[in-house]
Amino acid sequence: MEEQLRNKAKELLETGCVKVVIGYGWNRTKTRTAPVFITRPEDADRLVWNPLCVNNLSVYLTRKFKDIQALGKPAIVAKGCDIRNIVVLITEAQVRREDVVIIGMTCGGVVYRQELWKGELKPEIMPTKCANCGVRNPRVADFVIGERSSFTPPEAPTGMVFDKIKAIDAMTPAERWNFWIGEFSRCIKCYACRQVCPLCYCERCITEKNMPQWIETSAHPRGNLSWNLTRAMHLVGRCTFCGECERACPVNIPLNLMNQKMIQVVDEAFAFKSGYDEKTHPPMIVFSPDDKEGFIK
Amino acid sequence: MADGFLKKDDLNRLRASVAAKGGRFVAPVTVARQTVFKETAPSDEVALGYILARNSYKEFLFPQTEAIAEFSIHRQGVELRGKDADARDTVIFGARPCEAASLASLRAVFTWGFIDESYTKREDKTVVITVACTSGDDACFCTTVGLSPESAAGSDVMFHETDADGWLVYAVTEKGRAFIEAHADAWSAAAPEDAVARTLFMPPVIAGVDIKKIGERLKKKDHYDEPLWAELTRKCIGCGACTYVCPTCHCFDITDEGAAFEGERRKNWDSCQYDSFTLHASGHNPRDAQWKRWRNRFMCKFNFYPEKFGSKGCVGCGRCVRVCPVRLDITEVMEEMSKRP
Amino acid sequence: MAFVCNWCTYAGADLAGTSRMEYRPNVRIIKLPCTGRIDPLFIIKAFENGADGVLVSGCHPGDCHYTTGNYHARRRWIGFKNLMEFTGIDMRRLHFSWVSASEAIKWVDLINNVTGEIKKIGPFMEYKGLK
Ligand code: SF4
Ligand code: SF4
Ligand code: SF4
Ligand code: SF4
Ligand code: SF4
Ligand code: FES
Repeated sequence: MEEQLRNKAKELLETGCVKVVIGYGWNRTKTRTAPVFITRPEDADRLVWNPLCVNNLSVYLTRKFKDIQALGKPAIVAKGCDIRNIVVLITEAQVRREDVVIIGMTCGGVVYRQELWKGELKPEIMPTKCANCGVRNPRVADFVIGERSSFTPPEAPTGMVFDKIKAIDAMTPAERWNFWIGEFSRCIKCYACRQVCPLCYCERCITEKNMPQWIETSAHPRGNLSWNLTRAMHLVGRCTFCGECERACPVNIPLNLMNQKMIQVVDEAFAFKSGYDEKTHPPMIVFSPDDKEGFIK
Repeated sequence: MADGFLKKDDLNRLRASVAAKGGRFVAPVTVARQTVFKETAPSDEVALGYILARNSYKEFLFPQTEAIAEFSIHRQGVELRGKDADARDTVIFGARPCEAASLASLRAVFTWGFIDESYTKREDKTVVITVACTSGDDACFCTTVGLSPESAAGSDVMFHETDADGWLVYAVTEKGRAFIEAHADAWSAAAPEDAVARTLFMPPVIAGVDIKKIGERLKKKDHYDEPLWAELTRKCIGCGACTYVCPTCHCFDITDEGAAFEGERRKNWDSCQYDSFTLHASGHNPRDAQWKRWRNRFMCKFNFYPEKFGSKGCVGCGRCVRVCPVRLDITEVMEEMSKRP
Repeated sequence: MAFVCNWCTYAGADLAGTSRMEYRPNVRIIKLPCTGRIDPLFIIKAFENGADGVLVSGCHPGDCHYTTGNYHARRRWIGFKNLMEFTGIDMRRLHFSWVSASEAIKWVDLINNVTGEIKKIGPFMEYKGLK
């Protein structure tokens, strides 16, 4: 697969079809993969593909990265789940489909965190998203590399995130409150969760609106709560459960729980799953006169 | 000759002794699957088999968020009440030699022109107990920046692991000696016969990195717009996590919080990796691309600190490498920078 | 704390006032052009600043002065309400309603009921205690 990928990248660069290939490469010690930007055909051999390719590179397609856009038309190496984010970017008019070449990789799953890798991909070290993945054969790609995967996701979603959500739903409000305040109190307000998210592309995030200061910059529980609620709210109907925010969080806050919960809410209320169809509008920018509103008196 | 011996089982006695004198005991504790420096409660178990705590202990000297004044606005005018730092006797246990060396750098910044007492008062009341490293990982590179697991700079007391279920205790500074004496009950004066210091973990010096050369190169400002910077650091997403865990990063912002007529002024950590860090009111941003912000971080470590303060900007702890979501490895940049003329 | 739209609920509250109806005095009203202008962050801010409960109200579906503002708002609330519930906020502290310009009586009842519910659980000490 790696060979095919390199050849494809080389070809795209040689023909001038794209100016940069955004993909994965090794770090110096070959223990971790990291994003690489290949601009010369002869560098295409730096591209790698393996279960350590966790990053969702679609973040680099957003307007946060003007200097990357300045390189010219990109091709992007993307797993099926990463492509879902590109799809959302397309529906939100951030990326035009014809402006990016998507090299879809058929995927057997990745590790939850690179440091867990001991040379073998086992279910215990995979994220919940992989256990339920319906896009191991990438869709909406210009090229698909790798053999078709025969994986079918389980009927009822399984995995730690789903179990935890059930457990939290079963708690009393006070227990839930204590759980979340406990988690959020560790937040250091680094905003890594935002920066790594392909859908947090605002040039001026609400955290930077300081007249008045909408989100307190202090990393005390009050400021942390308002940040984490606002972030989750801004991703409603958009988040694809790619898991980057949780992976990037330096203090291990289980952001996936909040995101997945909201995904379930959106699915129940609007029968919508984000990132599958580049022609449908995201649910929060449209409405239906028939939306359920049992709670509004 | 060691100045004492502390059995691992007696660590709690030391903690109790510190607590009895009103001090706080900061030590690595496991929280949410990570080893972190934390002010320990008696129920907390001190983690022992860690490489390096995720966070730097700088947050106990330079808190992430701290109220420095309170204000209220009355008909008569504005009333401002300064708040003193709550400097308490503090023991940092389980520091590593790399991060201990960062204290001189922090002090240099916080006493440069203006004495920031909220830092100095805290540091003055802090005793740093460093435990020399017997394990490490591939992100450790103290030896590449001129330190080693034996370096004592910044430590007041140094511990060495032994196979005799305890640590050999060495006083490094006068403060450390006084601390050892003040808590004499916690340790035995003499080490058991079989207490031999374990071999330390020496990360290999990264071949091809030349700190001197990097420093020289950065001094000439003509590297500023080299495409190399963007090539090496383009992947940075600007999350700032590296600066928050770095023991020498020290930037902060001042912000007011509260209601319209009363509130407090807080000093909060900030990071040069944020695009709003250098954003002017006019909308102009002199560091308008992420690689420029990253260049600043590198300059801070290998130019500003050494040139201005003669101290280390990077102590090789590797925290930034471990935490980075895109694995931007500062040593890889150091390597490339050393290669260039 | 009540966030209301200018055209329906505020007018309804105003009618209650000019009709000299009495209701519990605990509510502070903030008027906005439309429910579509009510950012969920307003609600968080209200709690941050010490509100014990929040009410959001606007025109009935179909009646929005700007045609669709309240439909958009409704979608947002569906998300936000569930988020707040998942976070562990007692739902007796967060209320949503439609009150038209002529529904002064509904407004009075609503405020009395909402205030009553919040009184039952008392001040929001958990939030006020965050620091
Ligand atoms: S999982 Fe996190 S990073 Fe991924 S889309 Fe959702 S919020 Fe963004
Ligand atoms: S948190 Fe909200 S405002 Fe900030 S970048 Fe994300 S979507 Fe934009
Ligand atoms: S990444 Fe984690 S610590 Fe950083 S702002 Fe987000 S939730 Fe907080
Ligand atoms: S720059 Fe990185 S390795 Fe150097 S001291 Fe800071 S965190 Fe440690
Ligand atoms: S170098 Fe890494 S940790 Fe630092 S700001 Fe960039 S992406 Fe974040
Ligand atoms: S004007 Fe009342 S809801 Fe839009």
